[in-house]
Parts: sequence; structure tokens; C-alpha cells
Amino acid sequence: MTTTNLDPSSIPLPTRRRPRFGETGLRALTAATALLLVAIMALLVYETTRQAWPSIQEFGLGFVTSDQWNVVTGQFGALNFIIGTLLTSVVALVIAVPMAIAIGLFLSELAPRVLRTPVGMMVELLAAIPSVVLGLWGILVMGPFLAEHVEPWLSDHLGFIPLFSGYPSSQGVLPACVVLSIMVVPIVASISRELFLSVPSELKQGAMALGATRWEMVRSVMLPYVSGGLVASTMLGFGRAVGEAIAVTQVIGGANAISRSLFPPGDTMASRIAAQYAGTATSLQRSSLAYLAVLLLIISLITNVAAQLISGRLQRRLGGEA
Amino acid sequence: MEMTGMQRVTKTAAVAMGLAVVTLAAACGSSGSSSGGGTSTVLNGAGSTLVAPLISQWEPDYNKSAGITITYGAVGSGGGVDAITNRTVDFGASDAPLSSDQATACKSCLQIPWALAATVVTYNVKGVSDKLKLTGPVLAAIFSGSITTWNDSQIASLNPGVNLPSTHITPIYRSDGSGDSFVFTSYLSAVSSDWKSKVGASTQPAFPTGQGAEKNSGVAAAVQATDGAIGYVAVSYIAADSLDEALLQNAAGNYPEPTTKGITAAADAVTTIQPDGSVPLVNPPASAADAYPMSTYSYAIVPQTSPKAKQLKAFLTYAIGPGQAFGPDLGFPPLPAAIVAHSKTVIATITT
Amino acid sequence: MSAQDERNPLTVVSPRSRRRKLQGRLMELLASVAALVAIVVLVVVIFSVAKRGLPAVNADLFTQVAAPFGVEGGGIKNAIIGTLIMTAMATAMAVPIGVLLAIFDTEFASPQVSVAIRMALNVLAGVPTIVIGIFIFGLVVVSNGQSAFAASIALAIIILPVIARATEEVLLLVPSTLREGSMALGATRARTVVSVILPSAFGGIVTATIVGVARAAGETAPILFTSSIFANAVVTDPSQPMASMPFAIFTNSESPSHHDQQVAWAAALLLMAFVLLGSITGRLLSLRTRRQIEQMR
Repeated sequence: MTTTNLDPSSIPLPTRRRPRFGETGLRALTAATALLLVAIMALLVYETTRQAWPSIQEFGLGFVTSDQWNVVTGQFGALNFIIGTLLTSVVALVIAVPMAIAIGLFLSELAPRVLRTPVGMMVELLAAIPSVVLGLWGILVMGPFLAEHVEPWLSDHLGFIPLFSGYPSSQGVLPACVVLSIMVVPIVASISRELFLSVPSELKQGAMALGATRWEMVRSVMLPYVSGGLVASTMLGFGRAVGEAIAVTQVIGGANAISRSLFPPGDTMASRIAAQYAGTATSLQRSSLAYLAVLLLIISLITNVAAQLISGRLQRRLGGEA
Repeated sequence: MEMTGMQRVTKTAAVAMGLAVVTLAAACGSSGSSSGGGTSTVLNGAGSTLVAPLISQWEPDYNKSAGITITYGAVGSGGGVDAITNRTVDFGASDAPLSSDQATACKSCLQIPWALAATVVTYNVKGVSDKLKLTGPVLAAIFSGSITTWNDSQIASLNPGVNLPSTHITPIYRSDGSGDSFVFTSYLSAVSSDWKSKVGASTQPAFPTGQGAEKNSGVAAAVQATDGAIGYVAVSYIAADSLDEALLQNAAGNYPEPTTKGITAAADAVTTIQPDGSVPLVNPPASAADAYPMSTYSYAIVPQTSPKAKQLKAFLTYAIGPGQAFGPDLGFPPLPAAIVAHSKTVIATITT
Repeated sequence: MSAQDERNPLTVVSPRSRRRKLQGRLMELLASVAALVAIVVLVVVIFSVAKRGLPAVNADLFTQVAAPFGVEGGGIKNAIIGTLIMTAMATAMAVPIGVLLAIFDTEFASPQVSVAIRMALNVLAGVPTIVIGIFIFGLVVVSNGQSAFAASIALAIIILPVIARATEEVLLLVPSTLREGSMALGATRARTVVSVILPSAFGGIVTATIVGVARAAGETAPILFTSSIFANAVVTDPSQPMASMPFAIFTNSESPSHHDQQVAWAAALLLMAFVLLGSITGRLLSLRTRRQIEQMR
């Protein structure tokens, strides 16, 4: 019984098998899709820049500081729309971010367990509402409501602030800020919730053991711990607000000038592209709109990459401490 | 067995990828709307919202008589010129003639007057009824922001006996490329040198104040929804949406209504055809006592050479002929005989 | 004094701790109110759409196309069909590419390449959809005219990161013990993926597809320049431009006609119901898949 039929040298060792078709096939196929992704993105940048090139050549960087948008004189500049974009997005963030962080806190710490999933789902459903539906609601319901009830009140009581001066208007910057904040809240809220849930319980319990109230624990332990992530999520929300074209163009009233007040119509970069690109009067106007698109691309790239870098650094820090 | 299973799945994945790529390639390779050429039974067009109501009457009627399907996208005159320049449609429609920049880009396009209509000033002021009187300079002042309330003395002096409220005026204009904008700003430029130097005439002028809306329907909706609003729309939209219309003082000092009578009077007063084939009817001379001052022709913009030349010529001949019968119900008077003759000559030059 | 000493010092409530407690309660209340406001807004929007949309949902909506100028009436038959076709084409393009991309990223790519791909997907997801519309307009529409194909390509690019990231998530969830077991038995990487990992992740891929479909159905910006000039009739040829529901809502929302606005509300209701249903189904499915995969550990 010592020797069996098994001769060690006869066992085929899988040392240098020729790779079967399936192996390289799948690997090559999937690698091809990665190349396709890179190709799509490169093509996107190339095509948009190509369309913008005549305008870039004509105006250069002065485009960013010019407040002209005149087909008759052929002068185009992005300044009014950059200001409009920043104004609507920043106001939207001011409304949305504190609310969203509070929601994240609610969903991770404060809500009774049985409520957490359903309420969490409802907040995420806000993100699923198509922007054109929000715009429809904005034109026909929210805008008139703001013009009839909210803006007169703001103008009467806070009218000394330039932001709230002027005549109420159902189409304007304020309705645009509202729809944008509705879009930003779910993004920041879901990330905040994840962040709050990731705080190690030892830290939380340690604070409680030292006699802190729950709120003091949140303020002194949780918020500092997740602050980097919150900044990243705010940047993502900002990127979303900057890029929204449809809902904004439906409610903002497409004006050429920029006003200090939130009530009158205005315009943003994305909204102007949506309104004018389909039927431009001159080719320079068309490439100026493409130039706006290039600026949008740059802004979205910067905010996106910055957000990723911040959260990447945060993850590494967390990984090191864990 | 394992190997074939493995290969099978990989092949499935490859087929799925292939499907994706084929779809992509088909999209890039498809010849789009300009296919078919001489035997095609479809004509695609895009452009002016002013002429869209008339075209929507032509579509079923022409289909019945000639068997050709007309597809029309009412995207605004600017969009129409853009689409025909890129040859993504077979014909464009614009109330504004091609600028020299556009004419060069379009590469020998013809503009053929095929409808006669007008742009009308409309407003929505609670307590004020229809047919308010305005003059060109006052209108220019409103749209440049110098007159801000309805009870301004300049408006009141034109309308004695009308109780004008102190409501704030919200000017509504077209935010897209619009032939009506061109007609409106051409008129304002003709009657106000201030407007001419500050804003000028264009399909997409830089209005200094007010609110923008897309297409004639958008302006109508915005005016309806805002108390104190004033805007400009094509004549068909006044009746269709039951809007109030303002009466403009013409060069003769009268306030003609924008009916077929007033528009025909303008067309009869201006008979010179410009070298580029356009006939501007805005602000006709004082000799035309009953002419409505913001009348306009609407033009079909077609390439001189087209694979669908035969169908285009037949359709355009229908449009300036039997098609005109649908006009009066929509506010369009029939084309004057001289213009019909001119259009016929231009249509004859279309070749494959 | 002695009475006080006998009390448990830990439960003595000094004025200062009372203030801290109150402050805490107040902030917690504010946080709860914030959550409540968000839910109220969601309910208000859904309720508005339902209240105005439901009365307008009738047979005409599904059986008629838009009425000619000046005539009241009409429906969105061609828009519904157009959205179905364009969404299906976009999904057919995006799902194979997205799933294969996720497989490459989790199974075959080196860590640095993996990070790069993930970053690229996040960047693509952040590109404004209007810019993608301009991109496809210049690439496809200028030379070939508008078409449902062109719109579908734009939609596919938009949902590609959604599908790839969701698939990636689920692939990573599959326990490494499964992978290691399969490799220990002598299977190649590719074999492992196909026979072991994909079947476990299948539910997640279905979820990703559902989420992608819901997203593609609701996007308007890419359609603005690729499929906005179409016949007022049912079109099924993908090389021609088609009507679509988001675009129908967009145009009707700016119309003066009361009937058109009704149609917009009804279309918004249908679209929102479809999208919300897709999202909820997607979430529930992903929870179930997660639970199934957990059980495999």
C-alpha cells in the first residue's frame, strides 16, 4: 500500500498554461471599455473646445470679465452669467447645506430606528424627481406663490437688504434658488448620513461618558470628525447646482442684465445655453455659447476633482486611525 | 465543456458590446433627414413660430392632395435658419431675412416670401380693457425701462378716459432667436433713434430690461401669467389665446388694427423687393393711412440646390397658391400678386 | 445640607446642566424640523403634480398626438413611445459597457488604474447634461441631422457612470472568500468573474439597470438639441427625431393654453411615477441583493 498509481511526475502542474480564449478575451474586452471611457471624455473636451474656438480666439480671457451679450454688435461676455450662476448656486447652498446636514444627523442619530429607512428613502426620492418636473412646478405653482406671498413679505420687512429689494416677480432668481436647493439637499444629506454613521462609536461613547449631552457630543466630536467630508459633499452639491440647465431656464426668466436683487429675472451659464443654443443668429454667438460650456466644464471638473481629493484624503486619514 | 461555457459567456459579452458599437456606428453613419432624395415622400422643416399655425393647416391638406408628409418644428426663426444652414432639415422658415453673415454661412440659400402676417403688441393689466393706444417712441421707452408704471403720463395722454393703475410694467421679450423680435426691434429702431443706437434690430437683441420667454407661446403664457406685463406676439396668437392687443400709431398718425386690412395696406405700400429677396414692411410711409406698422412677410429659406428639389418646388408652389386660402382665418391676408409672381420666379431656380 | 448629601451627586441637576440639556434638545428639535421640511417639500411637489395631473390623465393622453394649432385637445402618445424607444436604446448601449467597465475596474485593473477609472467615472457623472447635449450635437447632429439615435447616445453617456458605479459597488460586495475559493480550485480570473461573481452580483446589475432607466427617462437637456424637431405623429424609426416625455413637459410647461398645461401635469405625473417607482424598486432590490450576498459570507 505504499505506492499507489499516483506518480508525482505525472500530475500535470498548471505552470505555464497557454491562456485560454476566455481569459484574454474577457480581459481585452473589459480593457477596451476603459479605453472607450477615456475616448468619450477626451472627445467631449475636444468637441466642446472646438466649437468654442472662434469665440476663444475672438475674446480670449476677456470673455470672463465682459458683461456684454449683444448679437447686433457682436460682443459677447460671460460675466453676467457667471455672476448669475454663482449667485443662484451659493444661495441654494446656503439654504440647502445646513438643512441637509441636519437631515443627515437626524437620519443617523436622532430619528427612532424604525423611521430611519423610510425617511431616508423619501429624502433620496427628492433626488429622483426629474428636473423638468421641478421646473414645471416652479413655473406654475412655486413661482406665483413666491411672487404673491413670499416676495412681498421679504420686500416689506427686509427690503433694506438689496437682495430683497425690487418688485415681486414669479420668474426670477429666487425661484431658481429654490429649485436648486431642492436638488442639492438629497446629495448632501445622503453623504452626510454616511459620514455621521462612519464616526467610530468609541469616540461618541467616550464623549458621552465624559458627561456631554448628545448635542454636545455631535458638536464637539462628530462634526469635526466629518468636516472634511462635509466640505466635499458641499462641493458636489455646488457642482450639481452650477450645471443644472432645464429647471433653471424654466423659472429664471432669461434676462440679459444682472441685478442685485433676487426678485427680477436673471440668467445662468447653463440656462443661457439651453435657451439660445438651438437657434443662434450668428456663428460667433454659437461659439460663445460653446465657450460658456467650456467654462462650465472647467468649473465642474475643478469642483469634482477637489471633492474627490478631499474625500480621498479623509479616507486615508480614517484608515490610518482605525 | 467548461471552456465552451466560458467562451460562450465571453462571446455573449462581446455580442452585447458589438450591439452597442453597432448602434453607435449606425447613428453616426445614418444619413438623417436628407436621405431619399428624389423619391422621398417626407419634407422636414423648422423655424418661425409666426408661420407655424399656417403650416399646421397645410400639413394635412397637402398630404391629402400630394401624398407628401410635411414635418415642421416650430423652434423659432433663429433655429430654422440654423437648421437649414446645417442642412439638418429640407426647408427653414424665418420672419427675418438672412443677415449677410447668415447668407454666407447658408451657402446659396434662397429666401422666398410665402406668408404675410404681423407682430402685435399684447399686454395684461388688471382693470384695463382691450385696444390700448401706444406710439412707437412710448413703446421704445417702455422696453428700455424709462417708463416703469402703467399710469405713466406718456401712456395716459394717449388714452384719455382709460383708468390706468399704478402697476409696475414687466416687459416680456423673446429669449430665443425670433423673427418677431426682428420685426419688433426693426420697428422700434425705425421710430426711435435712441433704441436704434442702444439696442438695434436683431433676431436676438439684448433687451435692457424685462423677462425672456421662448417662442410665441412662451411670451403669450408669460404675459397671461403676469399682471402688468407687456410683450409682442405673432398675430395668430392674439385670437388663439384671447390676448389683449395694443394699437400702434402708424406714420400717418392713425391707429389701425392688426387685421388683414391693416396688413394688406402695409403690403400694398411697400412693393420694392430688396436685392436679397426680402421685403421689409415695418413702419410704412405716411402715405399708407391704414397700414399696420409692424407687418411682415415670412420667408421660406431653401437651398438653391437640394436632392429634394422636385418636392420642395411643388410644396412651395402649393404654399403660395392654394395654401394661402387658410390664411385669413389665422389673421394672414393673401400674398399680393406681385409677390406671388416674384416667389414663383425664385422657386423656379431651385435645382437638384 | 445633609439631605443634599444623601442625594446621588450624579443626578443633581445644576442650572448649568439644565441649560446644556435644553440647548441639546433645541438643536435636536431643529434637526428634526429640517428633516420634516425636506419631507414636506417632497410631499408638496408630489401632491401638486398628482392633484393637477390625475384629472388630466385620460384615454386621449395615450391615444392622441398633439393637436394642431388653435385646436384644443391632443395627447402625448408619440412622446410616450419616443421615451420608451430612446430609453431602451440608451440602456442597451450603456449597460454592457458599464458592466464590463465595472468588471475591468474591480477584477483586472491594477490599483492605480482602478483609482483612475473611478475618478474618471465620477468626473463624467459631474459633467452638466447640457454640455453633453452640445457634445453630441456637434458630433452627430451637425452631419446627420437630429435623430432618436443621437439622443440615445447622449443619454447613454449620462447613465454610463450611474450603471458602472452601481455595478462596481455590488461586485465589491461579493466576499473575497468566494473569489479565493474559485481561484484555489484552479479557475482563471475571467472564469471566476463569469461563473462565480457575476451570478452573485446579478441582482445588483439588474438594480443598476433599473436606476439607469429611471434616470434616462427623465433627462431633458440632452434631448434639446438632438431630438427637438419631430413630426407630430408616432415615429418608430430611430434615425428620425422623436417626441419624448421630458421634452413634451418642457414645451407644454411654457404654453399659454390651459389644456397644454394639463397635459404637462399629466405627463409629469406619469414620468414621476415611473422614475420614483424605478428608484424605489432599485433601492429595495439592492437591499435584498446585499442581504443575499451577506448570507454568502
